[in-house]
Amino acid sequence: MTPNGLTPAGQVTSADTPETRGDALLRQGLTQQAIESYLDAVTIPATASLCLKLARSYDRIGNHSEACRWALSIVDASDDYTTWQAGWTLFQRNAQRSAWPAARRVNVAIAGSYTTTQLGTLLRLAAARIGIQIDLYESPYGQYQQDIIDSGSTLYRFSPDIVLLTVHEGDLHLSEFSSNPAEEVQTEITRWTTLWNVVTNQSRARIVQHNFALPCDIPAGHLATRLPGSRYMMTQAVNTGLGQAAGSAVSIVDCERLSAFIGKQRWCDPRYWNMSKQAVALDALPLLARHTAAVIAADVGLSRKCLVLDLDNTLWGGVIAEDGLAGIQLGHGAEGEAFVAFQEYLLKLKRKGVILAVCSKNNHADAIQPFQQHPEMRLKLQDIALFVANWTSKPENIRAIADTLHIGLDSLVFVDDNPVERDIVRKFLPQVDVLPMPEDPAYYVRTLSQYLLLETASLTAEDSERTAQYQARAHIKALEASATSIEDFYRSLQMQALVTPFDETQLPRIAQLIGKTNQFNLTTRRHGMPQLEAFVGDTRYVHLALRLRDRYADHGLVSVMIARQDGNTLDIDTWLMSCRVIGRTVEATMLEHLCRRALQLGCTSIRGTYIPTPKNAMAAEAYPKQGFSRLDTTDGTETWMYDLQMNGSVTNPFVQSVDSWDPPHGER
Amino acid sequence: MDLHARLEDVFRQVFDNDHLTLRDDMTATDIEGWDSVAHINLMFGIEQAFGVRFKGNELADMKNIGELKQFLSGKVTA
Repeated sequence: MTPNGLTPAGQVTSADTPETRGDALLRQGLTQQAIESYLDAVTIPATASLCLKLARSYDRIGNHSEACRWALSIVDASDDYTTWQAGWTLFQRNAQRSAWPAARRVNVAIAGSYTTTQLGTLLRLAAARIGIQIDLYESPYGQYQQDIIDSGSTLYRFSPDIVLLTVHEGDLHLSEFSSNPAEEVQTEITRWTTLWNVVTNQSRARIVQHNFALPCDIPAGHLATRLPGSRYMMTQAVNTGLGQAAGSAVSIVDCERLSAFIGKQRWCDPRYWNMSKQAVALDALPLLARHTAAVIAADVGLSRKCLVLDLDNTLWGGVIAEDGLAGIQLGHGAEGEAFVAFQEYLLKLKRKGVILAVCSKNNHADAIQPFQQHPEMRLKLQDIALFVANWTSKPENIRAIADTLHIGLDSLVFVDDNPVERDIVRKFLPQVDVLPMPEDPAYYVRTLSQYLLLETASLTAEDSERTAQYQARAHIKALEASATSIEDFYRSLQMQALVTPFDETQLPRIAQLIGKTNQFNLTTRRHGMPQLEAFVGDTRYVHLALRLRDRYADHGLVSVMIARQDGNTLDIDTWLMSCRVIGRTVEATMLEHLCRRALQLGCTSIRGTYIPTPKNAMAAEAYPKQGFSRLDTTDGTETWMYDLQMNGSVTNPFVQSVDSWDPPHGER
Repeated sequence: MDLHARLEDVFRQVFDNDHLTLRDDMTATDIEGWDSVAHINLMFGIEQAFGVRFKGNELADMKNIGELKQFLSGKVTA
């Protein structure tokens, strides 16, 4: 600027950046040139305002898919309310025109105690970012309880997959001070669990419940913490009680934690309550929407299973091949501590069931050295399900990782400090999600903890054993390569199966499998807990759960079959298998047991159905391979028949069926 | 950018209209889509963009855009 504040024409000012040049071009109507200028300005992750400008510019020139892509990247870039709102408008308009793909469509009914219009919009944007298209219904203001209790209400006519209870502390029926807090708390917990039960009895919907953010303004002051009868302490007791009462059909969004995270003063702004009954300030809604979407993603089985980790400057500071074992930053000193903290956080995720893989451009010998010799390494080689260090491109290696671990690319998250590698992976493997890494390693943990796709709906015992199973699988891939015949290979695994009818303790795992298995799933019918319980109580149904182990690992409960007796025929309603054990003849074992049950019931044939989806092509051959013959094809749905009298029972020479897991493997 | 252009930017974003131009004599009825939800979004957007806070019914009570600009220029330290 010149002293009089004017900029002479043609001179570049210090404020002249690719972004401001883009702004100027856009004002002149030169949209295409503006886009180029904006793209020059993009750092990774891009700022929210730049994402919005790019979305708007692409919208203007009619490039709908790019407009969608940039509108969605706003979710990663910031929690700014106004930008999110504008992003949603742009996304919605362009998604229709570009037929933007969604991995899942979910009907969400919002039953709320405050104005939820804004939250609904933001939730749809956050969900779209992670592949979920939400169709939305909102209960009329102040009527969420009636809407839930009345079985003929519009809420049920909407046939929701999820009923989202967006409620706030002011809605709790708790007195300011109670002389009998235990009873008052219990009454309030019962009010909520009753609503949950009503929903699950009247529909197939799952519940997502917002718990109660403690308020800013506490009349009892600091004394409140010493008084179990204060509303402050009773609210905490209700939160605890709801968490304990939530069965497998209920997920909780921890609003108390979110409000503390963003700050209570930002979370509650009384002006918005007074003006339009917004219990959560607009400023905090993007955070709430993001986390609610994350819980929904876990519910519908879209959470990611595996982190693919870079090494240099991701797990330690510096470059091992150049700096050497003594030169890398790890422990001791601020930067080194940041990497230790990141590794420790990764270990905790691993214990929760997240698989860790390594993908590094390094010589293998250099790459494993810190794992074997550096005293400050928290991650050990046995924590890594698959270790890939070579000079092949990352997309190619990541494909190989998915292939070896037998999981889809859409189960992977790529973690790399290098923005160029991140961009390449994003470009060549769009199914892989890329963690928007910050520059400062001190914030690696925070970024991962705020990441949307690592929520889990429930923690089963099997989750924490996953790494051992996946390691075993990688080992088996190597064996497979050396075995002379596939039969030799199957035999060398010494597989054993334990097949039982469903029992109570298995139901959460069975529901989890039914909810998330996409590939080997013949009918993709997503039965929930209530239906499963009904099948168990109904004698017309045959239900089988298969656990598999081999000489390397116990793979846990990996396959599920549900069939219904229909006269002389046993009709398979559901048959699925975890992709962990595909290609190991387990299918035949499952059918072997079904044949056994069919004969006991006096059935002479088994009927199977195959309903094709974009993801289950791998199951297309399941029936013909086992000797079924095709009966009919209608609208793509295939019906297959197995004649028990003519063909006899299916058998599998490679898997030994056992009646119990005792004695341990190999001691029979 | 002057106050008028900054305000126009907020309006364009909230109402998703690149071509929206503000005139001082405009009122809520002149702008398509200015309903109660948009009103809250607008108020929030202006607060964030200008670092101001409206009290009670201040925004709703303003007669037209000219009055809003006057209010902002009184509160905003340039």
